[in-house]
Amino acid sequence: MMPEMIKIENVTKKFGQTEVLKDLNGQVQKGQVICVIGPSGGGKSTFLRCLNLLEQPTSGKISFEGQELTSLSEAQINHLREKMGMVFQSFNLFSNMTVLDNVQLAPLKVKKLAAATAKKTAMQLLAQVGLADKAENYPSSLSGGQQQRVAIARALAMNPDVMLFDEPTSALDPEMVGEVLTVMQDLANQGMTMVVVTHEMGFAKSVANQVWFMDGGVFAEKGTPTQIFEHPQNERTKAFLAKILEA
Amino acid sequence: MKKIMSWLIILMTVGIALLAGTTQPAQAADDSLTRIKDKGTLVMGTSPDYPPYEFLVNRHGKDQVVGMDVDIAKKVAHDLGVKLVVKKMDFDSLLVALETNKVDMVLAGMSPTPARQKSIDFSKIYYRGGQSIVINKTDKGIYHNKNSFRNKAMGAQTGSIQYNLGKKQIAGSKMKGLAKISDLILALKSHKVEGVIMEEPSAQAYVDNDSNLAMLKNSQFNLGSGENNTAIGFRKGSPALVNAVNRSIDEITQKKLTQGYLKHAGTYMQTNTKNTGMWHYSSYFVKGVAYTLLITIISVFFGILLGVIFALMRLSKVKLLHALGVAYIEFVRGTPLMIQVMFVYFGIGLFVNIPALIAGIIAVSLNSAAYVAEIIRGGINSVAVGQKEAARSLGLSRQQTFKSVVFPQALKNIWPALGNEFISLIKESSIVSIIGVTDLIYQLKAVQTATYKGVMPIVVAMLIYFILTFSLSKLLNFYERKMKHDA
Repeated sequence: MMPEMIKIENVTKKFGQTEVLKDLNGQVQKGQVICVIGPSGGGKSTFLRCLNLLEQPTSGKISFEGQELTSLSEAQINHLREKMGMVFQSFNLFSNMTVLDNVQLAPLKVKKLAAATAKKTAMQLLAQVGLADKAENYPSSLSGGQQQRVAIARALAMNPDVMLFDEPTSALDPEMVGEVLTVMQDLANQGMTMVVVTHEMGFAKSVANQVWFMDGGVFAEKGTPTQIFEHPQNERTKAFLAKILEA
Repeated sequence: MKKIMSWLIILMTVGIALLAGTTQPAQAADDSLTRIKDKGTLVMGTSPDYPPYEFLVNRHGKDQVVGMDVDIAKKVAHDLGVKLVVKKMDFDSLLVALETNKVDMVLAGMSPTPARQKSIDFSKIYYRGGQSIVINKTDKGIYHNKNSFRNKAMGAQTGSIQYNLGKKQIAGSKMKGLAKISDLILALKSHKVEGVIMEEPSAQAYVDNDSNLAMLKNSQFNLGSGENNTAIGFRKGSPALVNAVNRSIDEITQKKLTQGYLKHAGTYMQTNTKNTGMWHYSSYFVKGVAYTLLITIISVFFGILLGVIFALMRLSKVKLLHALGVAYIEFVRGTPLMIQVMFVYFGIGLFVNIPALIAGIIAVSLNSAAYVAEIIRGGINSVAVGQKEAARSLGLSRQQTFKSVVFPQALKNIWPALGNEFISLIKESSIVSIIGVTDLIYQLKAVQTATYKGVMPIVVAMLIYFILTFSLSKLLNFYERKMKHDA
């Protein structure tokens, strides 16, 4: 049996009195691609941000490679985040640095790699996402799709065990969605473990091993893409998919 | 930082306690004379804008206080066998300077009134002059004596006898108080006031040097015992020193030495007014600019340094640090810079003898730090939260995130505001002139006093300030554009 990479047990999250996540459970196996879908405001992003503790769960347990996260010290959390790459909806490239510096910052500062090594890896990753020629540019001169590809390269530079994607294409113009999804698809083909919060149903259908449908702070339904998209059981899943397909 | 803050608080508490304490008569044995002899210097405090008593002249490129009072002080120092040191400051600050040991004696055409005698000791009278009123020559037909000024606006030095005389003895008078005689004359010429009350020799000096002015010698003020006399002021409870000085004054009175001193002062006044072109006084302005820039640059440096620290304290999650940061910033922003300057010089000066220039720099730096802290805090808060999250998600620590990502971006946001703070510091630092630091404003007053010209020095100083601030803002714009270009 494949080892669990991430295990989520009874996780809840409250913002003040509002309960955003309610008693979540789930497992991510090594090499799996999980797509989390569902209506806006359903708690998908909060769930994803709990996985690398950008949000602290109110209760419950999250384990990563057998290690319980919620009880870790700050230094241990920093170390843990090295192994969990994250890509944000709004790219969040460091606006004060060039593309190359964005990618090699963490390897230099956190992994303390030699400058030459860090640069070599960074350039390879930029080539992988098709942006080697933009290495000396500042993020503001790049298109949204290019920025997001740099952000993916930046996360990969730490050689993570899992990649978390938080609606990576939602802020993009339609014509740029494809280039980002292609990069993500390549990653999946290389066997990268991925948790992807997305509205791209096509991507979920073709790439995901598992689709988790989330609404109202709970996983209303989990299953293979075929199960979820062809034979949804839950009423809310049905309603959501009907709405998406209409549009 | 915690240490510095608690030190500040201790200093303040002790300072306030001691300031309150100094109003009590000193019980300690009178060591006033031996103290002077031991240190070998006699420090005279004066406000050198009161010719012929005391005023500034430029000799060999240095400005120097001269006048009758200086000659008297020289004789006193000579008789005591010590060296005379002259300290310049505003008339208002003289009594505080005595109480806080900044000076040993005050000669500033000061009259020993009963009110003043309560807080300081006085020597014997060394000069008896009358009180005169200076008016515009064109008004000579209108005003004859004090009674002509019923319901009119009149001017006198703030905190002076003349001010009180006008207030009490002219029915319905509207007294205007200014710190400098030169400003009062300016007010007179622009008809802000109709007459300026001042000591007769001083009035004579102004009238002699300005053909647009006239004086009313017989002002008909009802002068009490002390009010047309001039004496030397000392710290309360120093009879030994007073007695020693009185022996010199006896000699001055017997030999009628003041006549010679006044003549001596007159020769300086003539050389002063020989050439009243602004170019002739350029060295004054150059010195003023040098000090203004010195104060500003050092204060900007420490202001930014401390400002970063206070901003980080205020942003800190540690409750104590946060509270101290907030307390400092709010307190400093809630009190006028002028009071802070006086507090550092006179208040903290009770424990450590800080020279005026250093006191000024300390006060301006501490003041600026509070404003810079708020600018920096605003800049840090304005960095998008996603930038921080992206850095943390890569495994960067809090400190690494701040250093590599947040601060460089905050700096770009705060640069324009920081530039404005720098520019306003050039202007605001002028407040240090009240404790006698020879910055541009102080030099402006000095030139006014020396030349008997009111407006021209103001225009020159204004232009200099503008050139300084304008070129600085151009320079800052250049770097601002450069930073924008980079990103």
